[in-house]
Amino acid sequence: MITVLRPDYEQTAAPLSLTRRPLTLAGATIGIVSNGKANSRPFFDHLEELLRRHWHVADVVRRTKANYSAPAERELIDEAVRWAVMFAGVGD
Amino acid sequence: MPLTAETLAIGDDDHVQRVFLERGWTDGLPIVAPTPERVEAMLAGAWFGPDDLLGVEPVKARVLTAEKAAINAVMAGCLPADFPVVATAVTALCRPELLVHGATASTGGCAILLVVNGPIRQELAMSSAHSALAGADRASVCIGRAVRLVLRNLLDVRPGELDRSTLGHPGKLSWCVAEDEEGAHPWQPLAAERGVPDGVSAVTAFAASGPRQIMNEWTTDPVDVLTTVVAEIKSTMLHYSIWAGNYAVVFPPQLRAVFHGAGWSKADIRQFVYDHAVVHRSDWEAVGKAAVVSDTNRDRKYRALPSPDDLLVVAAGGEAGGFAAVIPPWLGPKSAAVTEPIGVCVDC
Repeated sequence: MITVLRPDYEQTAAPLSLTRRPLTLAGATIGIVSNGKANSRPFFDHLEELLRRHWHVADVVRRTKANYSAPAERELIDEAVRWAVMFAGVGD
Repeated sequence: MPLTAETLAIGDDDHVQRVFLERGWTDGLPIVAPTPERVEAMLAGAWFGPDDLLGVEPVKARVLTAEKAAINAVMAGCLPADFPVVATAVTALCRPELLVHGATASTGGCAILLVVNGPIRQELAMSSAHSALAGADRASVCIGRAVRLVLRNLLDVRPGELDRSTLGHPGKLSWCVAEDEEGAHPWQPLAAERGVPDGVSAVTAFAASGPRQIMNEWTTDPVDVLTTVVAEIKSTMLHYSIWAGNYAVVFPPQLRAVFHGAGWSKADIRQFVYDHAVVHRSDWEAVGKAAVVSDTNRDRKYRALPSPDDLLVVAAGGEAGGFAAVIPPWLGPKSAAVTEPIGVCVDC
């Protein structure tokens, strides 16, 4: 029998709990966060149109990350707390 | 301090290989089983305790300890004497300016290139000669692989998981080169140019695309050699990314002789490349990228380097051959090369 040590990261922080999912998008404020790449724009334009026309959301807030290779900036994360749902995506 | 990583009791070495592969803990090559005895010896090689902090990866806020790095170094085949280089490279990975999260997650497919300077090269019998960019010696291969396993196991950089590289390149498996300081005299070593004192070993980490080899064996004029180098850099700017950032250029002895004969320093090379590695947005029209050329940007001028100091000039390679390598950045200025001294703090 060989005793070996785990090489991977051993989680020490308590796991995060998921927030409750909204039952409907109607009347909700939706956030869309683009990574800033050009191809994300037409995709999210279409998504916004669907949200407004078919899902009757109250508002769609569009934001773009400052650096598509880094996490969203603190101000954007703070703002996202006020949204019922957020879509985030890349546009390669 | 005792080791704190979770232990597994496994039947035999073949079973260790299978379990580690199944859990995604290896790159597919055989590993050395990380027993507590081997990990303790690895830590002792650099005078580290298990809970010594090498750094905190800033995006995931992951605390990277010497123990976990040592486990991966054992697996990679490192000897304890290699561990100071591995540990220092892990510290470099955690520097915010390297942006290792973005670099390793990007579709761009870069790898972390390590350049080693200082006396530790001789202590580890590292080679700077033939096949210098391709794992020319035991230590280079194992150190590069250890860093790759650290990325995989401590930062989840596995192909198809966090690693979203469209193609990647072979340097992702292991990429470490020792600079030929002695053969490059009177040039300064890379680390010395980046502020590390004489006699101190150091590691420079650079998020780099694959090397692009050039050849010019038909001149004794430095301008001719650098014109070829600049043409390759401009090609990269057109075919890959136009954005300015660190570039590395690796010169072997035969081409270094051209520069030494004409009295050119590394600083002279950097200035020449800075001045001449320039393209215009309209140049993209000729390489199939007209869709992103417009009347408002077509005359805009783009340099390869934000400043002359952003060119990393490295001496390495076998004695014969007029081959150099241009190593482009992952993606312009999003990641900056980091140089860390080994075993000392030079700014605290």
